[in-house]
Amino acid sequence: MMVTDQDYQLFVFALKNSSKYDFSQYSEKSLKRRILKVLTDHSMNITSLVSRIKNDPEFVESIVKEITVNTTELFRDPQVWQTIRFTILPRFKNNSVINIWHAGCSTGQEVYSMLILLNELDMLDKAKVYATDINTDVMDIARQGEYKYRFNLAYLDNFDKVIKENPYNYEEYNDVPYEKYFKLDKANDTIKMLPFLREKAVFKKHDLVTENNTLYVKFDLILCRNVIIYFNYNLQCRVFDLFHQNLYDSGCLIMGMHETILGPPASRYQKKGHAYFKN
Amino acid sequence: MNCKAVIIGGSAGSFQVVTKILNSLPRTFPVPVLLCLHRLKHVRSGFVEALSLKSNIPVEEPYDKELLKPGRAYLAPANYHMYVELANRIALSTEDTVNHSRPSIDLSFVTAANAYREKLIGVILSGANKDGAYGLKKVHDNGGIAIVQDPNECEVKTMTQSALQLTKVDFVYSTDQIISYLQKLR
Repeated sequence: MMVTDQDYQLFVFALKNSSKYDFSQYSEKSLKRRILKVLTDHSMNITSLVSRIKNDPEFVESIVKEITVNTTELFRDPQVWQTIRFTILPRFKNNSVINIWHAGCSTGQEVYSMLILLNELDMLDKAKVYATDINTDVMDIARQGEYKYRFNLAYLDNFDKVIKENPYNYEEYNDVPYEKYFKLDKANDTIKMLPFLREKAVFKKHDLVTENNTLYVKFDLILCRNVIIYFNYNLQCRVFDLFHQNLYDSGCLIMGMHETILGPPASRYQKKGHAYFKN
Repeated sequence: MNCKAVIIGGSAGSFQVVTKILNSLPRTFPVPVLLCLHRLKHVRSGFVEALSLKSNIPVEEPYDKELLKPGRAYLAPANYHMYVELANRIALSTEDTVNHSRPSIDLSFVTAANAYREKLIGVILSGANKDGAYGLKKVHDNGGIAIVQDPNECEVKTMTQSALQLTKVDFVYSTDQIISYLQKLR
């Protein structure tokens, strides 16, 4: 089975006309694949999918959740988190408040990565950490802060690299116990974040495509990792402008390993390593 | 042939072959080369550097939405699927693995076939699973040229044999024949 250009357009228009969601500027190839997944999972054809979208608002909500991609892990790409630890967060050390936005936080692993790092740097108390996603189901998981243990053994390796080791000084080793931040329950196969972390972040539904900043604060740091790869070039430019407007002057945007700012917004940011600073 | 891009897929045993191909292409190769190669999960970096070492054309792991340019090779980054979008741009994705693979050769080939149609050359090299077979079929179905490395020459034959089972390919070539075919592109 294949999703043709026409199927794709039918889907996008139906969604746009009968809901607040606009997928017309999503990355075409991956959206087609996600539509195909929805059709297969529900054993539907495009005609029945479109008619259900037009008539069933609850179904629309569930489809939007199925369409979005939710891959994330604790301290994903440890070298990026080492940069955040050693060169980015220290810039804000003397702030009285530090505002952080995880845009497209998915199931929250990177929110907890940030909270753990802030605590290690004695900055947790003055941090305000906001996390948003279009998908409220994944944010429910994020609020719970509970993840599979065996499936995610890489989390512990990543934790060691970012929290215990120092890439600038191989002799340094901080033996921070995992229990300081999460409870490992091998019998039940879970990693559960401790309450002081779970209670810290503010989770809120937000659609980067159609909404402006609905958190009503400006940010020192915005993390938006492996989110904009699902947007086309034009929509990416809009999102970079949105972030630019909502960063403080010294503020910084951090994206996925293979995401970059192309086109006009590039001149409004300065790239330093893994980070983009507001010009 | 009016060719717009070359796409190459491989896994176990393909590294030497890709190195040799990149080492033999003219510096002014007229089209972009897309490389979708499986690698060990923990080998996240160093691969592009190793390929660059002997390549005549620049090899890079592209950024999302980067424009494809002639005379450059684009290696699918570790843990991302690499698609070709409309308007000649790369798109990356972290969707689930396909055939236990991310990057998935099938997905790269299917999207490239969709973007370039009859102006695409697809090449499947040595490899240990069937990823790529479906993608090469789509290249062929869209009127592009489908080439498979001669299984007798492959370190691991699964990938090439799966491709040959699924598609009546245009050419079964040795590494040297693949190279001379690509060298003739203008």
